[in-house]
Amino acid sequence: MNLKNISIALTVLVFGVIAMLFMQKGNYVNQAREHYEMTTAKSFKGNSMVLELVNNAIDMNKATWAIACEGLQTVKTSQDMARLEAKFFPATKGSMNITNKTRRFEASTANIIVSNFAKVEEDKKTGVKSLAGLVSVDVSVLLGKVAAPVETEEGADEEGAEE
Amino acid sequence: MDKKKMKILVVVDIVILVALIIILMTLKGGYEEQAKRTANEQETSYLEKNTQVLVEQWRSIDQYSMAWKLVHSVLSGVKTEPAFNTTLAAIEADKDARFKQISHLYTGAGINENVQNGIFQKAGLAEGSILIKGDKNSKEVACGKDCVIKFEFAKGKLKNLDYSALVQFNLSKSLKIEKPAEYHFE
Repeated sequence: MNLKNISIALTVLVFGVIAMLFMQKGNYVNQAREHYEMTTAKSFKGNSMVLELVNNAIDMNKATWAIACEGLQTVKTSQDMARLEAKFFPATKGSMNITNKTRRFEASTANIIVSNFAKVEEDKKTGVKSLAGLVSVDVSVLLGKVAAPVETEEGADEEGAEE
Repeated sequence: MDKKKMKILVVVDIVILVALIIILMTLKGGYEEQAKRTANEQETSYLEKNTQVLVEQWRSIDQYSMAWKLVHSVLSGVKTEPAFNTTLAAIEADKDARFKQISHLYTGAGINENVQNGIFQKAGLAEGSILIKGDKNSKEVACGKDCVIKFEFAKGKLKNLDYSALVQFNLSKSLKIEKPAEYHFE
């Protein structure tokens, strides 16, 4: 009787070990797959984010550069500059500083250009002042030279009569 | 079943069991090693391919940034062929300024310094000159992946400048990060 029980137990054990044999491969494969998926998913997510953020940043950066360069080619007055700004950024307006004879356009804190003009002109009818004779366009912010030209008084846009 | 047959069954069971346990142990090491190795290999290969896209993007941004700086400098200064050559050489040589300009764009995009440095360590700056055609009257400058701008000179003076490719510069179609493939044990 005792021997019978032992032989039954041993036979069950044999089948158990055979089952283990087939299962162990699956376990290792699953562990490895889990590790692989975790690592690659993290890399995919992180790098895709960098790629996308930089690609998005290019859009605003190139438009700001385009204003600066096209400005150098075509702009004479601050009104011209305002029109050019509106072409690339319909929702953002630059601001003039009559004292410094500059017009500052800030698309974002990283994308700022400052146009320097030679003189101030005043419309005799309306009394609205504007700037004329574009001298240069300062792109030091776009170049990453940290100090963004500081905005001083007269921040208000005085281009009301421009269009 | 008689006692004798029982005994034989017990002995056979024990022999099979011992054999199975030996097989189990032998295979265990093999499976474990193979699983770790294949996972590592596939991870490394994916990560490298993946990072390469960011490296390419970084170098593209270097060329893009130099190209804009060149266009702006040429338009701001004396518009002659010698001035173009001097300006281009100066822009390419100033590696600190190049890094600063790329880094500025990345910072503006919300990418922190650690990530930037990680990419920079692998990518460095764009290799070679951005001047891809340097005839006296006609210059072509690379401005990033799939981007070329043109400067035309006549009698040493700038006659035409076409930087429309820079204004339309877009990497989202040319650079893509692929999703990881399925893991393969074999």
